[in-house]
Amino acid sequence: MKREVHQRRRHRASNKILAAGVAVSLLSLQMAGSAFAQERVKVEWWHALGGRLGDIVAELVTDFNASQDKYELVATHKGNYEENMAAMVAAYRVGQQPTLIQAAERGFMTMLNSGAVIPVPELMEQQGYDIDWDDFVAPVSGFFLVDGVPAALPFNSSTPIFWYNGDMFKQAGFDAPGETWQDVEKQLYAIKEQGISSCSMALANDFFWSLIENYSAIHDQPYGTLANGFDGLATEFVFNKSPLVVGQLERLAKWMDGGVLQIAGQGLSPEQLFTSGTCATYVASTAAHAGISSTAPFAWSATYLPHEEGIEPKNSTIGGGALWVLKGEKDEEYAGAAAFIDYVASPEVQAWWSSQTGYVPVTNAAYDMLKADGYFEENPTREIAILQLGRGEPTENSRGFRFGNHNQSMQILVEEIQGVWTGQQTAQQALDNAAARGNEILRQYEQLHAGQ
Amino acid sequence: MPDSNVTTEMGGATARPPIALGLALTRLLPRTSESGLKTAHFRKPWIAAGLLAPQLLILLFFFFIPSYKALSLAFVQVDPFGAREIFVGFENFSRLLMSPDYQRSAFFTLWFTAVQAFVTIALAMLFAFATDFVIRGRGIYKSVILMPYAIAPVISGVLWAFLFNPAVGPMAQFIHSLGLPWDPNRRPFDAQMLVIVATVWKHICYDYIFLVAALLAVPHSLLEAAKLDGARPVRRFFTISLPLITPTIFFLIVMNVVYGLFETFGIIDAVTKGGPAGATNTLVYKVFQDGFVQLNLGSSAAQSVILMIVAILFTVLQFRALERKVNYQV
Amino acid sequence: MIERNLGLTIFCHAVLLLGAAAVCLPLYFAFVAGSLTLQEVQQTPFPWVPGTHFFDNIVSAWNQGNFSRLYFNSLVVTIGIVIGKLSISLIAAFAITYFRFPFRMTAFWLIFVSLMLPVEVRIIPTYEAVADAGAPLRWLFSATGLSGLIETVSGYRIEAALQWNMINSYGGLILPLIASASATFLFRQFFLTVPEELCEAARLDGAGPVKFFFDILLPLSRANIAALSIILFLFGWNQYLWPLLFTTDDSMATAILGLKDLVPVADTAPAWNIAMAAAFFVMLPPAVIILVMQRWFTKGLVDSGK
Repeated sequence: MKREVHQRRRHRASNKILAAGVAVSLLSLQMAGSAFAQERVKVEWWHALGGRLGDIVAELVTDFNASQDKYELVATHKGNYEENMAAMVAAYRVGQQPTLIQAAERGFMTMLNSGAVIPVPELMEQQGYDIDWDDFVAPVSGFFLVDGVPAALPFNSSTPIFWYNGDMFKQAGFDAPGETWQDVEKQLYAIKEQGISSCSMALANDFFWSLIENYSAIHDQPYGTLANGFDGLATEFVFNKSPLVVGQLERLAKWMDGGVLQIAGQGLSPEQLFTSGTCATYVASTAAHAGISSTAPFAWSATYLPHEEGIEPKNSTIGGGALWVLKGEKDEEYAGAAAFIDYVASPEVQAWWSSQTGYVPVTNAAYDMLKADGYFEENPTREIAILQLGRGEPTENSRGFRFGNHNQSMQILVEEIQGVWTGQQTAQQALDNAAARGNEILRQYEQLHAGQ
Repeated sequence: MPDSNVTTEMGGATARPPIALGLALTRLLPRTSESGLKTAHFRKPWIAAGLLAPQLLILLFFFFIPSYKALSLAFVQVDPFGAREIFVGFENFSRLLMSPDYQRSAFFTLWFTAVQAFVTIALAMLFAFATDFVIRGRGIYKSVILMPYAIAPVISGVLWAFLFNPAVGPMAQFIHSLGLPWDPNRRPFDAQMLVIVATVWKHICYDYIFLVAALLAVPHSLLEAAKLDGARPVRRFFTISLPLITPTIFFLIVMNVVYGLFETFGIIDAVTKGGPAGATNTLVYKVFQDGFVQLNLGSSAAQSVILMIVAILFTVLQFRALERKVNYQV
Repeated sequence: MIERNLGLTIFCHAVLLLGAAAVCLPLYFAFVAGSLTLQEVQQTPFPWVPGTHFFDNIVSAWNQGNFSRLYFNSLVVTIGIVIGKLSISLIAAFAITYFRFPFRMTAFWLIFVSLMLPVEVRIIPTYEAVADAGAPLRWLFSATGLSGLIETVSGYRIEAALQWNMINSYGGLILPLIASASATFLFRQFFLTVPEELCEAARLDGAGPVKFFFDILLPLSRANIAALSIILFLFGWNQYLWPLLFTTDDSMATAILGLKDLVPVADTAPAWNIAMAAAFFVMLPPAVIILVMQRWFTKGLVDSGK
């Protein structure tokens, strides 16, 4: 099968050469003037960013293509992360894959152990670029580290922060949300009871990430054994054994029953519950900046995620996508891919990208550049994510998560937690079930990838 | 005129039709035939082979070979990139069949499919009958009832979810104003109702259009004859039209069951995502989730195998039990 | 058939009006959402009355996507699906109902079973099949040793000839979507109801199967062909997952993909007004097809044949 793929690829290559030959001869029949444009090497990149983010990506690509004349990056939006991944897997199996692919952080293990990727540092070294991996913001690159260097380029990285409606807090007699969950709870109930808002908090669709996973990182609770999977495939989920995590879920369930916490459900983005002024607060990604700043007609603001009383909070972890380089392409395409990665990682582009999208800058150089420009003085909420990510010394429990097929166990976790919302089971039961079912997935993954 | 006189025509048993009706029907009495073969037929196997070839070839390349590849993964655990594969025998199957979630999903799928098929056909029949009966505005009704089918599923799914969204949806507000509870995010039964309403809505146009076409094909002469016998419109529908459109109804029953079992994952994905807590997770939505979204190809293949076996059993049963009652020879 | 039955007439109109209202409810809200501004579309509760920005939104939606190209692709693919599926299933159903030949039931069940696994569920292997449609033939040739034989005799490498990559081609978009039995099954059901006399008479007249098919069967099937064309047009036009996975070249994308691109995703401004407005011009071709094709339903087709 492998040989077949190679043959096909060779065939494809020869077709391309033939086609290029025809094109060149046609051109020479006309004028040689535009021949330069034809010689650009096309580099394919599939990504998962649509809507406004898609427009910003398109701008990024245009700028890159204008910045040099050797390569033409062709970016294709292949739907959401799952669709993008499925399309790439299908294409890879028949040798039609793109050179670059954007994959979600949860797919890290799938990508890393696929045998289909070239680690980004290896590519950059081959292509003669010198990238200072130490300059990457530690909790961002830490998620992707393999042997001290990130296997993929963190591209769109975010972390959850606490969004709130400043007008409603003022009306209830508070300057700002409290720092601890205990204080926040009192405030949310006060907002509800004073009739300021019928819903004090909108539940984000990725609440498992913002309110469970990041909660355990910030409170230094082990989510799984073996340093959340960083130390081996034999890791097991243990989030159900942490009284804090169980307590967090119980709290959320209590809020929901009390009408303080509202599920948006399908057909409505939870962000809309917040920006329309229905719900007073919202725990979501810092990348919501783009949407909230353009649509919320009130004095919105954001702050750090709350923590438990009496516990020193640790750093939160990232979510979002990274750029991976796929095997099986031609060297000139790799040269183009490396040029693009180098371009994306440059401080200027990072600063631009971060300010446009709300994602965090991934290098210290870019962060310093924004700071020097006074960007964070004008936009203080933009800095929360970076400060929260860099808070304290990362521990084994706050570095990130490395579980095989993590999207599968995440899906199970959500399903079990929904059983708490519907009143079918308690928080402890839900987390026990989720851990047990998730562990089955981890064992299958371990079995399949034994020896890696 | 007693009903039984005409309905027995369906089975092809002896009938004693009144004279006017009898005249029209005697020359149309059913004859014995090999299942699904016209009594008057051709015997040119090579022409038949040529006529079948395009369909069979396309199916071979784009259905059978891919399906075989997909289903063969049922016995392995595999990395989606195809780099690693271990044979696990029937482990994927036993894991599924032992799982309470899978059993619950299977149970929901069965009653969901049955209810959905019944409600869709019944409502479509009512609309089709009414369309056939009214004279004014028939074309407009047909166009308007078919129109929603034209809107892209990526939009209509979102619209459905939105309309019934407990926080903002206009329909949800209407239900609340009646003093009824409604929250598909937290009440599994509400979510199941919502999925049924949305799938019925999605498929009703399909059934409607074929029923309208079938009713149009009912011979005028028979209806006139029945009218001369004094049968009123509703009676005529049940005694003449309904028996004559049984082939279409049979087609629709099979297609609705197939639709319910296989083609509802798009709308479920838009409306409930299988939740809350798996309450609307049908078997095919699970196949789609595990196979396409989660790239768990082994388990997804095993689920497809089970689903196909169930569907084929279902269909054979339908052909055996129902097709006998279908009246093909008009 | 002139008949007065006022009660029933009123009842039927009431049923149809109610049904039309119910099925059109989502459509109405799509229109309302499409007529609002970005701020208005976010307000809760959602308004029941449309705003005034419908045409502005249509224009900005049209300009955001390369819709003229996407429209063209969608039309080609959809018409390909309608014509392709209609023709192969008409003749296949004809063969199955009007010919006696060995393995007739086997052929029927082979076709029928293809209803049992939608393309979305077997999408990755289907992609492989389309990217390399020649693979099964190459396998056949090498397994039977034919390729070696051909190579020694003619010096021609058969494997090289059997490379068909249909990625980013209309054929690749169309063919997997017509590999299903629903239409064949429908025509089989219909052909079985066609009076036996017609075929007997045709044979007495000395007409062969081809003449019978074109002169008698096809005209009789008009209403069913019209109904199916509508269904298939909508099916083809509204395809999402397969074109999404399959097209890597933006110039091969379809209108639905363009529409989906406008649908807000997480982390961006929820511009539902633009997406809903776009939904209307994307549904225009199917709407026209419905209006045109429903005229083909005319009464008395079977009678006229007798």
